[in-house]
Amino acid sequence: MATQVFKLPESLKGDVKYSFCPGCDHGVAVRLIAEVLDELGIRENTILAASIGCSVTAYDFLNVDSLEAPHGRALAEATGIKRARPDKIVFTYQGDGDFASIGLAESMHSALRGENLTAICINNTTYGMTGGQLGPTTLLGQITTTSPTGRNVDYYGYPIKIAEHIALCDGTAFSARVSLDTVANIRKAKQAIKKAFEVQIKGIGFGFVEILSTCPTNWKMSPQKAHERVRNEMMPVFKPGIYKDVTTNEIEMLK
Amino acid sequence: MSYIVINKEKCKACYLCVDECPKKLLKISDETNSLGNRIVEFNDPKHECLGCAMCATRCPDLAITEVYKG
Repeated sequence: MATQVFKLPESLKGDVKYSFCPGCDHGVAVRLIAEVLDELGIRENTILAASIGCSVTAYDFLNVDSLEAPHGRALAEATGIKRARPDKIVFTYQGDGDFASIGLAESMHSALRGENLTAICINNTTYGMTGGQLGPTTLLGQITTTSPTGRNVDYYGYPIKIAEHIALCDGTAFSARVSLDTVANIRKAKQAIKKAFEVQIKGIGFGFVEILSTCPTNWKMSPQKAHERVRNEMMPVFKPGIYKDVTTNEIEMLK
Repeated sequence: MSYIVINKEKCKACYLCVDECPKKLLKISDETNSLGNRIVEFNDPKHECLGCAMCATRCPDLAITEVYKG
């Protein structure tokens, strides 16, 4: 008698067909959120504030109520939703350009105000939907369509380390950076996402997870090579780990 | 007997699952789906599948819809 050990999460809109490129880790991230909503049993009570970018399509796949926000303003909109309906679980699903470039002020001040929100940010070091331009998290030396000779410090400055910055805000209850390059790291990522929702349910403060993801199309790599790049080039700069967790009161590194 | 169920129409041919399977039971087949992708096939004549669900955890497009362990 075989027992079922994997099935599609009920928080997805049935047997959905993703519109993401082949090998894109957005699909894994959306599935992990759906699994967390299932496990916490909060799907009926959850509202998604959608962003702009490849991440916007999350509302096509997640079976939750959702509102579209202007570019970068997902957390400002989520603040309004949460203050009007404090009984609801409100979360955002954003890319790095949306969260840390166009919406940096809104994101940072949501964390500083200590809003009871959950923010999930996908970091793929580029603007994926618009064709691979230089983004706020683009690594030094990385070639993009708007930095054809690679990002150099003199002209473009340094990439932002989002999870560390959010952890410095006093209103933040949980801030972590996770990766999706291996199955083990996918399971750790799910734990971090669950924790980010739990701090909101407990009403402690702002929960944030930065997810290191791939963009095989704009990196012009195979999905396998893209995951190697995450491991070899991104993870030494954007170190995975839990940067703030007020529930345990200690900084524990995910190894 | 452990086995997986693949939805052929959802496979986008990224082949991440092929590297992930510890028993190397997933292979690129000659068959194509309506997207024109050469899809992944599950071939387990010796019943080696562990039911670890690593392929389904890895698959970014939910093409591996069910995993049974037993």
